[in-house]
Amino acid sequence: MSVGHVARALEEAGTPTVVVMVRSFRHVAERMGLPRTVITRHPMGRPFGAAGDVARQSDVLGAAIALLDGAVEGGTIIELEAAFRPGTLG
Amino acid sequence: MTDDRSPDPESFEAFRRSFSYGDRSDLNFKFFKSMADEDVAAFIQRVLDLVGDAYDTGDIEPIVRAAYEAQVAGYTPDPEAPPSPHSYDFAPYAPMPTPAAGATLGLITSSGHFVEGDDPEPFGVEDMTQEEAERRIDEFLRETPKLSEIPSGIAANELRVRHGGYDVTSAARDRNVAFPADRLLEAAEQGTIGGVTSTFFSFPGATAQGRLKRELPAWLDRFAVEQADAFLLVPV
Repeated sequence: MSVGHVARALEEAGTPTVVVMVRSFRHVAERMGLPRTVITRHPMGRPFGAAGDVARQSDVLGAAIALLDGAVEGGTIIELEAAFRPGTLG
Repeated sequence: MTDDRSPDPESFEAFRRSFSYGDRSDLNFKFFKSMADEDVAAFIQRVLDLVGDAYDTGDIEPIVRAAYEAQVAGYTPDPEAPPSPHSYDFAPYAPMPTPAAGATLGLITSSGHFVEGDDPEPFGVEDMTQEEAERRIDEFLRETPKLSEIPSGIAANELRVRHGGYDVTSAARDRNVAFPADRLLEAAEQGTIGGVTSTFFSFPGATAQGRLKRELPAWLDRFAVEQADAFLLVPV
């Protein structure tokens, strides 16, 4: 919820935002009317992917950047289908 | 003589609740608190079955997937629950002033990262540990959040993370799981975005929502100094 309030305030002040959050919080994006949201099928605390998973983290950021360009109205939510994959840090 | 009196056995309900800030506190599984006994029992049995499979296959992804699916179920709101006071029927929208490839992006996360040597010192405590933050979660939820400023080019080993509301293990190992500074810097180098702001921001999102909203005008003034064309926001 905390980030949702920040996102709404920024947008109402004229600054575009994109939020990246895990699937467990999708209902928060929906009920708070977040402007642009990317949902990842990752566990809490790892919205961009596992520790060390640079490729997944980059993919998620790419989706967020694309949504900044592509969304034409508030309340736009996309959910990435890729499942979380465990990290490889020893 | 022997004493045949035994302590009362722990109930299964007490067991599953103990993962949520109890004597078995594990923030990866604190959602057990809001699940039915039979659902938690089924989850544990499922994980044990998958561990047995992994002995032969070496594949832990099914275990990870089962934990993820249980977490999603655990956080799914009860359809009979009263509506959240933080519900809105309209979504604000500010158009991008320029294509992202030429835009300067800022970063704001609720991950609880801060710069070594610039500890926000919640409740005036120096060097609060993650364990103490978890023990004091109820106090954090009544507290005004403190916004930490983080130079966007700061080295990873100069960052710390502390947050009483989620398991920070991964975020401590690799900030990019929740504070994707390196990925943003790479995107700027590659021209996917035009650049990044000089300062990124983070705060512990487990906080008093009303107090947070009262802080927002001052926060917006601070964000405006960065002259970002857009912000990436990351809750945990």
